[in-house]
Amino acid sequence: MTFQLHSHRPPRLAELAVNLFAPAEQAESILGDLHEEFSQLGSKSGREIGRRWYWRQSLLTIVQFAGRGFRSEPWSTAAVVIGGFLLLRTVHRLPGLVLDVVTDRYLTYWSNHFHAYLWVLKGLRIEYLMGSLFTGCVIALVAKRREMVATMTLALILSAMAVVGTVSGVVITGDSSYLWTLLWSFGDPFAIVVGGVIVRMHRSSAKTRLSAA
Amino acid sequence: MPRRDYLGEFEHIVVLALLRLEDRAYGVTVRQEIEFRTKREVSIGAVYATLDRLESKGYVKSRRGDPTPERGGRAKRFFRVTAKGMTAVNRTQRALQKMAHGLDLIGSFS
Repeated sequence: MTFQLHSHRPPRLAELAVNLFAPAEQAESILGDLHEEFSQLGSKSGREIGRRWYWRQSLLTIVQFAGRGFRSEPWSTAAVVIGGFLLLRTVHRLPGLVLDVVTDRYLTYWSNHFHAYLWVLKGLRIEYLMGSLFTGCVIALVAKRREMVATMTLALILSAMAVVGTVSGVVITGDSSYLWTLLWSFGDPFAIVVGGVIVRMHRSSAKTRLSAA
Repeated sequence: MPRRDYLGEFEHIVVLALLRLEDRAYGVTVRQEIEFRTKREVSIGAVYATLDRLESKGYVKSRRGDPTPERGGRAKRFFRVTAKGMTAVNRTQRALQKMAHGLDLIGSFS
């Protein structure tokens, strides 16, 4: 029985992806429908065909909802993305500004504890990531029903900017070691998407609790 | 000329599927009915996006069914066409018939 239940379990990653992109109030019924057809197909044609069908339906569904997010409200989606970009720039400046003020005020302390100062500088990177995560959450909160579309759009824009910037840096300086900085540059877009996922999952579970009540 | 709403091509197909299925109309049956009759692949996302649009226009109403184990414990969402939806589908149907009247469509494609 346990084996049977396991063998009829849809791909988890596909389930998660559909859950993230489908509107929160529809996600439960869509996932239920996919599960039902997947079980029917799995018993009739085999597990592999069922899994392939599930993935194909999931991808088509994600494309459908992502495209709809833009088509239904293109201007407000664009406004949220631009607003998010500006917020990110502000949030990223804050740790540096705070550090400047603290450094100026406690100059003697830092000069005696230079190692600590270096650690704080390294910690700035983590603060940037936290800032990106915060920005992702704010964008997702503002972009109702289009959390993933808005956060992924901003993440793609930032990734494209990072690639263009790094490649130009490599071309201008001829120093290919710049390419390693790309790995760091993808950290911020990733954190933004994670912020979107957190808000979306929270909304999704709240909707499920409400509709079950 | 007064502005009257007509159904789009896929909206029209979805509403006709709901009318055929009557009280058995939910995501799975609607998707399968359309695939079976039109012989075209339809994603569950396309069905729900259209049903959501039709519901926001007041052409369709939905209600939540009970959760079942074969659906992973998730509930079904049943749909039915409203009176406003019936008017829209009749209007669209009539417009299509008027446009096609006198044309030998079957002959020109055979």
